Amino acid sequence: MATESNGAAFSRRDFLQQLQGWGGTALMMAGMDALGFGIASAATAPPTLTGGGAGKKVIVLGTGVAGLTSAYELSSAGYDVTVLEARDRVGGRSYTARKGTKLTELGGEPQVCDFDEGYYINPGPWRIPYSHRGYLHYAKKFKVGLELFNNENEHAYIKFDKGTGPLAGRPVRKQEITADTRGYANEILAKQVRQGALDAEFAPGDKELFLDYLRSEGYLTKDDFKYIGTDGRGMDENPGAGLDPGVPSTPHKLTDILHSQTWRTLQSVGSLDMQHTMFEPIGGMDQLPAGFVRNLKPIIRLGHVVEKISQTPEQVTVAFTGPDGQKGTVTGDYCVCTIPLSVLRGIDLDVTPEFKEAITGVSYALVCKIGLQMKTRFWEDNHQIYGGHVYVDDPGVNVISLPSTGWLGEKGVILGFYPQGASAARVSAMSLAGRRDYALSVGQKVFPEYTESNDGSFSIAWHRVPFNMGGWAQWTEEGRAKYYPKLLEPQGRLYLAGEHLSYITGWQEGGIESAWSQISKLHKRAMATV
Amino acid sequence: MRRLVASAALFGAVALSSMAHAQTTGATLFAQNCSACHQLTGLGIHGAFPALAGDPFVIGDPTRPAYVLLHGRGGMPNFSEDLSDADIAAVLSYVRSSWGNHAPPLDASLVAAVRGGGAAPPKERSVLPGH
Repeated sequence: MATESNGAAFSRRDFLQQLQGWGGTALMMAGMDALGFGIASAATAPPTLTGGGAGKKVIVLGTGVAGLTSAYELSSAGYDVTVLEARDRVGGRSYTARKGTKLTELGGEPQVCDFDEGYYINPGPWRIPYSHRGYLHYAKKFKVGLELFNNENEHAYIKFDKGTGPLAGRPVRKQEITADTRGYANEILAKQVRQGALDAEFAPGDKELFLDYLRSEGYLTKDDFKYIGTDGRGMDENPGAGLDPGVPSTPHKLTDILHSQTWRTLQSVGSLDMQHTMFEPIGGMDQLPAGFVRNLKPIIRLGHVVEKISQTPEQVTVAFTGPDGQKGTVTGDYCVCTIPLSVLRGIDLDVTPEFKEAITGVSYALVCKIGLQMKTRFWEDNHQIYGGHVYVDDPGVNVISLPSTGWLGEKGVILGFYPQGASAARVSAMSLAGRRDYALSVGQKVFPEYTESNDGSFSIAWHRVPFNMGGWAQWTEEGRAKYYPKLLEPQGRLYLAGEHLSYITGWQEGGIESAWSQISKLHKRAMATV
Repeated sequence: MRRLVASAALFGAVALSSMAHAQTTGATLFAQNCSACHQLTGLGIHGAFPALAGDPFVIGDPTRPAYVLLHGRGGMPNFSEDLSDADIAAVLSYVRSSWGNHAPPLDASLVAAVRGGGAAPPKERSVLPGH
């Protein structure tokens, strides 16, 4: 916490502690709500684990961010922590593929990343919302440099093939769709308001202000509230020096936009986890795990595949197969298991049948990504697109994302597809070369330079990756009600943690905050039994 | 129904060739949509993806695997929007008659009946992928 420089955070915490002192937890909780925390909302700092750990031994399984957070906080608090990791690397899904990275999916061909030195793709998590304060806490603490991730680029293209009309099947700049759709919508609404059709909606004095808003939001003409275009949709010729004011562009027809379906990319505001500001770690997503490892006291035992977790009332024992195939066990007072439920369901566990059933009560996302190394940054040089996403309506691709790093450099790595669900099943059935060719064929229809420029690729289908078996947990409402609460409670001496035990599934933040929550419970119990 | 039977008798040759076509379609659909996990051999991968060869669930009451294709289960996605009733019938018929499986085929009307009985709601049509 020494690195926390936000004075407001401290004063709020002080205030809450005061409240707790005066009126107990209930008053503190009310205070939290009043301060806008929301009781169920994200934690913003790790739990304070005082008391020294009392010599208790904790086994942490897995070194994704949930396992690393658990290992770091518990060992810092004085626990004797042993960390087992099945792979020969740390980080789990917080992963970066670069030159020489090897991956063989279940049932797949061996793959070695063939990017040039210094180029990479984040095949797992790739963007950090500003609201994910647990992640940002550790990035700051471990001095992991961040850079902005461009999650929205108005100058990027939308290319939808499934619509109809003149805007279907060709790349259109998103700014044109945004400006025209909103311009017309505001114009239509303004017309109704000015005709008095909506008078019942307004309190005295509201109507003029509302019309001002419509005119401003939609770039409507001053006197007659018409949408005739605006420079933000792009100019036919940009303005220049001297006597060159530029040439304005002409809006598309509303009917053409509607039938092109491109308006489906528009939202009034980004969803909570998709807004500006978005970050990414400089140098790749594996930099935060590396930061943990630099600061972690316990040595991580790589290549240890968990075979069985058994327990007595006093102890928990984890049986494993080590890197050379030798069997072994490790015994502790508690175990924090961050193995994904998709994998845990296949491990021999000493838990109740109800707990076992709950582990199988969630499905995992099928999801694929491909990184395509390009010889030139044609999207910047020729199209003036700097980061952000090109949207396509082929569900096998969804987005083509341009890198938010290496601006104006020589080469770059593009995210060439990001399918999920049944589309991911289909893409993952292709050979490695087939996936690349498929990604190139879709991108080629957006950028003429695409295929010619490609000189490397690395693809992943997370549902086929050993020790992951899926992208992230996908709880149904029924599963949340029936199974989820069971998994939050310890089974004997076994505590589960990970993104799957949060309402922020599929984000590293979920793993971090789940770890905080579970180790707090563990600590409370350990201290109570000293 | 009687008319359908009569047509099938009259145009037996056509019916046969359309069955062969269904088998090809089923094999293709399986390769495209299912083989990434269940493998082209139908043997799956032990401990990860279930085998379909000899699986009592697959060769039993066809409405149950049809339900799973329409709703998803465990790590398996829901194909209700990606495959038509005829596609699902074709791919299931292929699975039920391949790799030593000898269960009878099913037709689209059975899948439609299962779908009508409360198929999963359509996925949100957002084009902005999450995560």
